[in-house]
Amino acid sequence: MLEIKNLHAKIEDREILKGLDLTLPAGEVHAIMGPNGSGKSTLAYVLAGKEDYEVTDGSITWNGEDLLAMDPSERAVAGVFLAFQYPMEIPGVATMTFLRSAVNAVRKARDEEEYSTPDFLRLVKEKAKELQIDVEMLRRPLNVGFSGGEKKRNEILQMALLEPGLCVLDETDSGLDIDALRIVADGVNALRSKERAMLVITHYQRLLNYIVPDKVHVMSDGRVARSGGPELALELEKSGYAEFGGEATAA
Amino acid sequence: MIHLGRDTSSRIISKGIAAGHSNNTYRGLVSAHRKATNARNFTCCDSLLIGDKCGAHTVPYIEAKNASATFEHEATTSKISDDQLFYCLSRGLSEEEAVALIVNGFVRDVLQHLPMEFMAETQKLIGISLEGSVG
Repeated sequence: MLEIKNLHAKIEDREILKGLDLTLPAGEVHAIMGPNGSGKSTLAYVLAGKEDYEVTDGSITWNGEDLLAMDPSERAVAGVFLAFQYPMEIPGVATMTFLRSAVNAVRKARDEEEYSTPDFLRLVKEKAKELQIDVEMLRRPLNVGFSGGEKKRNEILQMALLEPGLCVLDETDSGLDIDALRIVADGVNALRSKERAMLVITHYQRLLNYIVPDKVHVMSDGRVARSGGPELALELEKSGYAEFGGEATAA
Repeated sequence: MIHLGRDTSSRIISKGIAAGHSNNTYRGLVSAHRKATNARNFTCCDSLLIGDKCGAHTVPYIEAKNASATFEHEATTSKISDDQLFYCLSRGLSEEEAVALIVNGFVRDVLQHLPMEFMAETQKLIGISLEGSVG
C-alpha cells in the first residue's frame, strides 16, 4: 500500500507539488491524469527518488516504510519501479547485460539467489516474447537507436523482470502507435496482480481503454483535484482540462 | 603511427577516462613519409568525464610529407550524466555498479579486441579503480 500525505516538492526554487494526497492499495491500478505542468511527472520522479526534486513537506510510505528515507536503488529493492517517459541511452552496454546486472543486483539485495546465465537467458526470452521483443534488440546497446515503441517495450520488459510491488508508468503511451500501445498495455495487464499496485500517468483516455484503472485522479496545480472511477477519464476526454486550469481544447 | 609505404592505412581508437581531479591528455603522432602515397589514417579520440573537476585534452600531431595522405581525426568528450546514473539506480544498481557499467560500455570498442581473460580482468579493474569516484 502506497500512502502519500500532504506532499510538497520543489525543483530549484519552483514548488511543483503543493500538498498532494493519494492512497493506492495493493492490487489496484490508479490512473493519474491532468494538464501539462500539473506535476504528474514530478510525482513519478519523487516516488523514484530523483535528486533534483526536493521534498519540503509531507510523507510517502510504502508498505509502512518511509520511502523518502531511501535512496533510489534502495527503493528499487523495496519494489518501486518507474517506467520512464524518456528512457536513457547507455552506449556500449548491451541491453541484455544491463538487464542481468539490474535483476541480479536487486535479487542480491533482496537475499534471493542470483540467476545463472542460462536461466536468465531463458527467462528473458520468455518475457521478451510476450512483449514481441526481438532477441536481436537485446544485443543492441541499451536504448541507443531504439524506436519509441522499442524503448517503451523495453521498460515494460524491465518491469516484468524486476517484479516490483509498485509500478509507476510515466506517460508510457506517449510516442506509441496503436499496435505498440496494445502490446505495451497487454504487457502491463499481464503484470496486474493482487500484490501489485500500479500508478498509470497519462494525458489521454485512450491508454485507459486498454489498462482499465480502478480509480482515476485528476491533478491540477500540484494537488489531486478530483478522484473518481474510470468514467471520470471519459468525461475528461469530452470536456478537456479547462476546469482544472489547463488550456481549453476544442473537441 | 608512421606510414612508410604506398596505400597503407591505419586506425587509432583512444578511450580516455578522467575521474576526480584528474586530467587526461591524448597525444598522438600520425605521419606519412615522402613515399607513402595514398596513406590513410582514421583517429578517434573519445574522452569520458566523471565528476566536474576533471578534464580531457586532445593534442593530435599530424605530419604529412606526401600530399596525397588522408588523415582524419575525430574527438568527442562526454560525461556520465545524472540522468543516466539515476536510470541505473532506479533499476537497483548501486552507484558504483552503475558507473562501472557505463564506463565499461564506453571502452567496449577497445576491450572487445582483447583476449577473453584480459577483457574480463580489465573490466573488473575499471570497476575497482573507479570505486568512490562519484559523489
